[in-house]
Amino acid sequence: MSAPESPRPIEIGRANEHDVKIRWKDGAEAVYPARLLRLECPCANCVDELTGRKLIQEGVIAEDVHPAGIDPVGRYAIQIYWSDGHHTGIYTWERLYDLMQKL
Amino acid sequence: MVNQETVQDALRVVIDPDLRRDIVSLGFVQNLKVHANRVAFTLKLTTPACPVKDELRKQAEDAVRAIPGVEAVEVDLTAEVRPNPGAIGRAMLPGVKNIIPVASGKGGVGKSTVSANLAVALRQAGADVGLLDADVYGPSIPMIMGATERPMPSGGKIQPVVSHGVPVISSGFFVQPGQAVVWRGPMLAKMVEQLLAGVNWGELDYLVIDLPPGTGDVQLTLCQRIPLTGAVIVTTPQPVAVNIAEKAVAMFNQLKTPVLGVIENMSYWESTKTGEREFIFGAGGADHISQKWDFPVLGKVPLATTVRETSDGGRPIVLDEPESPAAVAFTECAQNLAAQVSIHNLKSEADDLVKITF
Ligand SMILES: [Zn+2]
Repeated sequence: MSAPESPRPIEIGRANEHDVKIRWKDGAEAVYPARLLRLECPCANCVDELTGRKLIQEGVIAEDVHPAGIDPVGRYAIQIYWSDGHHTGIYTWERLYDLMQKL
Repeated sequence: MVNQETVQDALRVVIDPDLRRDIVSLGFVQNLKVHANRVAFTLKLTTPACPVKDELRKQAEDAVRAIPGVEAVEVDLTAEVRPNPGAIGRAMLPGVKNIIPVASGKGGVGKSTVSANLAVALRQAGADVGLLDADVYGPSIPMIMGATERPMPSGGKIQPVVSHGVPVISSGFFVQPGQAVVWRGPMLAKMVEQLLAGVNWGELDYLVIDLPPGTGDVQLTLCQRIPLTGAVIVTTPQPVAVNIAEKAVAMFNQLKTPVLGVIENMSYWESTKTGEREFIFGAGGADHISQKWDFPVLGKVPLATTVRETSDGGRPIVLDEPESPAAVAFTECAQNLAAQVSIHNLKSEADDLVKITF
């Protein structure tokens, strides 16, 4: 089993045409607006690995950006294939869980 | 007509008693070949220390032999230990499939002797096993395992000392006796992290960790830093030992670390002449904990003077006197532990599957 307090999703699906809905094992449930998730991409192109500063430029991200597909990564994260072709971000359970506070 | 399907169907009646599923749906049946009424296949179990491997093999062989037309059956036995699902994709110790801390409430219950014998017994069964002595207050694994060399650095990490086929690292290699007693939480946490991440553990089926007695910072750090498959509790039969052992169980519960089972050490004394058993320290300690907290008794190990002697001599009793009652009991404990690991991993594999419907 897993370490204490490490969150686990049960289901990752659609809230509507573009937005992602995650149901968590602890009972929490949240809708992640597609564009917010795209802006939170944790990959090295989007976030400076050393400083944590965001490199992604909000202005160039389309208003209607959305996931084209979602793949599991191991048992700890997902990889999102975006409608704009971007797909290098690995979203861990921890990160997705913490993101709920920003919604 | 004998074909793959008729053989698979026949094998579906063979149930693994621990995992409670048939060997076909468990994926144990591999390399199935049917040729001119001769059948050959491999049974791939979830641990080489499987306590029922010979029975499973015989049942599988019998089931296929009973198919009309079958003239010969050949069964190969192999095993591949499944990783704890929480370990997959883990950055720390990616090659270690299962981490198993051995804990006790109070000292002096023979926890280190149990850890060493479990590790060596699993190794004897054919598994890749490491042994980490995290008992910073009284590291005794080097003496019990006869691992007296100093570990050498290699590629920026520490290379474990290999003893009886088991890579061993002890906090005692790095800390002066008595020094750790005054350490505080953060220092102990750093030490634990070094022992895990700073060591070339390589590819292991099981990493057994000998914890300090009690419920302190080492236990806390370990449970919080790295996904553990589950803990083993060691107790003696005395009520006072049992009471304190329950505190350790409560701690693991609170830290959401499963307990795989309890081992009762120094359980009884067996006369070598008459085979009679004397329950010097009382009886029922492990049974009480097991019933109250709902996990199995992995085994009861008799008191034997040779356990102490061989422990001090650097050779665990499962190596030196494998036929002795204590060694037989340790081997049984190791097999039951391996079975519990398989059960827990299979269960959490099912629990942890995320449904992605996007
Ligand atoms: Zn990105």
